[in-house]
Amino acid sequence: MPLHQGFLDELRGIVGTDALVLTTEGRMTYECDMHTFYKGAPDAVVLPARAEQVQAVVRLCRRAKVPIVPRGSGTGLIGGAMAAHGGVMVSMTRMTAVLDVDLPNRCATVQPGLINLWLTHAVAERGWFFAPDPSSQMVSSIGGNVSTNAGGPHCLKYGITTNHVLGLEMVTGAGELVRLGGKVAERPGYDLTGVAVGSEGTFGLVTAITVRLTHTPEAVKTALAAFRSMVDASEAVSAIIAAGMIPAALEMLDEAIIKAINAGTGAGFPEGAGAVLLIELDGPRAEVETQAQRAAEICRQRGAISVSVARDDAERALLWKGRKEAAGAVGRLTAAYLLQDAVVPRSKLPQIMRELVSIAERHRLLIANVFHAGDGNLHPLICYDDRDPDQLARAKQANDELLHACIALGGSVTGEHGIGADKCQSLTLQFAEADLNFMYRLRGAFDPDRLMNPGKLLPTHPACGEGFRPARPVLPAGTWV
Amino acid sequence: MSVTTRALGDALRARLGPDGATDDPASRAAAAVDGWQPRWVARPRSLEEAAHVLALAHDEGLAVLPRGSGSAQGLGGPPDRADVVLDLARLDAVLEHSPDDLTVTVQAGVTAGALAAALAARRQTLPLDPPGWPRRTLGGIGATAASGPLRLRYGTMRDLLLGVRFIQADGVTTWGGAKVVKSVTGYDVPKLLVGSLGTLGVIGELTLRLHPLSEVEATGLLLLPSPEAAQDTVARIVDSTLQPNRLEWLDPGALAACRLPTAPAALAISIGSVESAVRAQHAAIAEIATAAGARVETVGPAFWRTYDRTLAETGSTLLRVATLTSRLTPTLNAIRSALGAEASFIVTACAPLGVLRVAIDAGDPTALGQAIERLRAFVAEDEGSVVIERGPIALRTLVDPWGPVPAGALELMRILKREFDPRRSLNPGRFVGGI
Repeated sequence: MPLHQGFLDELRGIVGTDALVLTTEGRMTYECDMHTFYKGAPDAVVLPARAEQVQAVVRLCRRAKVPIVPRGSGTGLIGGAMAAHGGVMVSMTRMTAVLDVDLPNRCATVQPGLINLWLTHAVAERGWFFAPDPSSQMVSSIGGNVSTNAGGPHCLKYGITTNHVLGLEMVTGAGELVRLGGKVAERPGYDLTGVAVGSEGTFGLVTAITVRLTHTPEAVKTALAAFRSMVDASEAVSAIIAAGMIPAALEMLDEAIIKAINAGTGAGFPEGAGAVLLIELDGPRAEVETQAQRAAEICRQRGAISVSVARDDAERALLWKGRKEAAGAVGRLTAAYLLQDAVVPRSKLPQIMRELVSIAERHRLLIANVFHAGDGNLHPLICYDDRDPDQLARAKQANDELLHACIALGGSVTGEHGIGADKCQSLTLQFAEADLNFMYRLRGAFDPDRLMNPGKLLPTHPACGEGFRPARPVLPAGTWV
Repeated sequence: MSVTTRALGDALRARLGPDGATDDPASRAAAAVDGWQPRWVARPRSLEEAAHVLALAHDEGLAVLPRGSGSAQGLGGPPDRADVVLDLARLDAVLEHSPDDLTVTVQAGVTAGALAAALAARRQTLPLDPPGWPRRTLGGIGATAASGPLRLRYGTMRDLLLGVRFIQADGVTTWGGAKVVKSVTGYDVPKLLVGSLGTLGVIGELTLRLHPLSEVEATGLLLLPSPEAAQDTVARIVDSTLQPNRLEWLDPGALAACRLPTAPAALAISIGSVESAVRAQHAAIAEIATAAGARVETVGPAFWRTYDRTLAETGSTLLRVATLTSRLTPTLNAIRSALGAEASFIVTACAPLGVLRVAIDAGDPTALGQAIERLRAFVAEDEGSVVIERGPIALRTLVDPWGPVPAGALELMRILKREFDPRRSLNPGRFVGGI
């Protein structure tokens, strides 16, 4: 839908000429996020510098019924920050300020475009950090993290983004600039902050975020255990949790990833290992020392072929090196892959790993795994050759079967990446009509015209548009007059 | 279509059985809220029965007041109407405990005490300890977002509720969230239900994140020479690598109520971990305490039971004052000056989070109301709040028990209420802004 000249003039009037992108080449750079399956260039891109500009853009778009798509760094994995229905994309890359750091009250307020790791850099010297640590934290924005309610390796102990967001300033889809929550730990009323985190831009545009900061732990201890198989390693994960430990991180890598990493710069994972478990404990020194020994012991009891505990920071960095190189190493395995983010109850890991192996064999595909085992959050990489349509079809089929298997075990469609355009039709696996109906209406409270990031997060209903029909109890007829 | 009293009673009894729905005077009197006697008390034994009550009430335009243990009935404004009290105490089943996943699913009427007993054998815990927690129901703790000392380390219901099955005003049973510890599938509906006082839906089942019980937990009491010294000590602990389970501030009145030695201010600090770490951290705390001129005493595990009883039972009025951690002492002074020298009250606080509890013995509601407004003006500077967590109806009629909510946020809350409960069947008038 091309935009009228008058509309564009007004847009330019709000943000200025240098903050408006209209050229085809310019718009094409915004046509997708990291999930390049989903492409949709916006008709215009604006780069506002202030909340008032954001509000004026939303009000203008609302008047003209033009869709609005928020975008942070564009590092999402779900086809969230792309303009499925055209319209105006609002890029937050100019709103990157740290507005306030208040260490006595353990919080900071930042603009949405600020890169996640920059906040930690701003407070690290004084002994603090921002706990949510998605693997993209060097490039992803905190606004984007809020939008998808991002997780990361260390959220096993520290919780995901929502557990660290105290307040939001946002422009709702209705064009209102509202402040939700804030520095103080609690305030009366509905928890609108809590429900807005993870809404993937479908409620509005966040213009400032107040987050909880976490004190750096006294000690960190990392251990690496190699196992013959994923099933053995999965059983060790359950045993560690059952022994009363909540490690800071509990990450698993499978044989395919281990080989790929060793073939590259080489973290030197044990050859012949079918799975590697990276266990990180942090907290008070005495606790960490004791628990690291116990975790190592549990791994040995569960048949680990080797267990090494880092003695210092240098050794610790070496153990993490492989995990951090996993994404790059995948390039050595395959040109293309489908990435899953489903979750199973962690006690079901051995079961889902067996299932995964059989799905891979059935479809003659390589499925590589590097994932957050501690909370059962899988990240299978289903590898295929993108020159071979048959392989792609099989990869999609395998992807689908795996997702169904996770849900059948009581799991969830996505643990930390979000829904976006990619998984919205999968919501029906997990939610009944009444549940989806509730979500549609919830969204309408913030975005009455449904102009905010359309086509994302919620599925469309085949029968009656967006109107899922819930089931009510049947009341007996004729009981009353 | 309206219904006669008799016919509606018949409809309720037809579905819930003779003991599931009653209009006998004693039951109605026992379930009264702020002087409002409901016309019926419904005690469903299943979620389906509860949904039936709500559907019926919705169609007939009746007001429904959900009830758990009844311990938070003094929270919020007096209801505008009261036709049916929906007593959820019989929904008391622990549906599924999965120890290896550290999750549990319970019905709303399960008490925190009953759950603690069920989890103890596996050395797991749901670390929610609002005042009087053992007899409070989990549905009630969810609806009120009530919290206690353990929130310092483990957060509140907001952080522990993974999934929720609730019944909407029109009787539609709805699920939000997930049964696994990590999920971002769909909107975070559980967050909306927590603390909504049943005004958007009635919580029927909760899936909760559990934690391992600390192997060893030991509590130290720091008796400090002044509130300022206590404030400094809190700041030093916050800015350290110490990891307390609880860190509570007690004023002299609270010390007396707990039968502890007196001091101008005291901090009770519990550390839970492996034995060696508990010892090391208490040694570090002793060092900080000595520097602040504190006397350190060890108190036994029974202290927290005494403390809980004190919080639950002291004062006919209980205020929750939320402010900044760095402003504890000025807020304490403001509380003293607002209530006046003659008032009888005790103050405790979850110090590192800036949440104070003021338990006040009976006083003149008008004077108390004015004191609350003065205190609200004081904490407003830091966007803090003063909520009457319990108090006599006369007080809650005089002053808004919740205090002001910023206009933009309140408008969104009203839109949500209109969307999900357009007939105002659920707890009408009891929530913020008269919702």
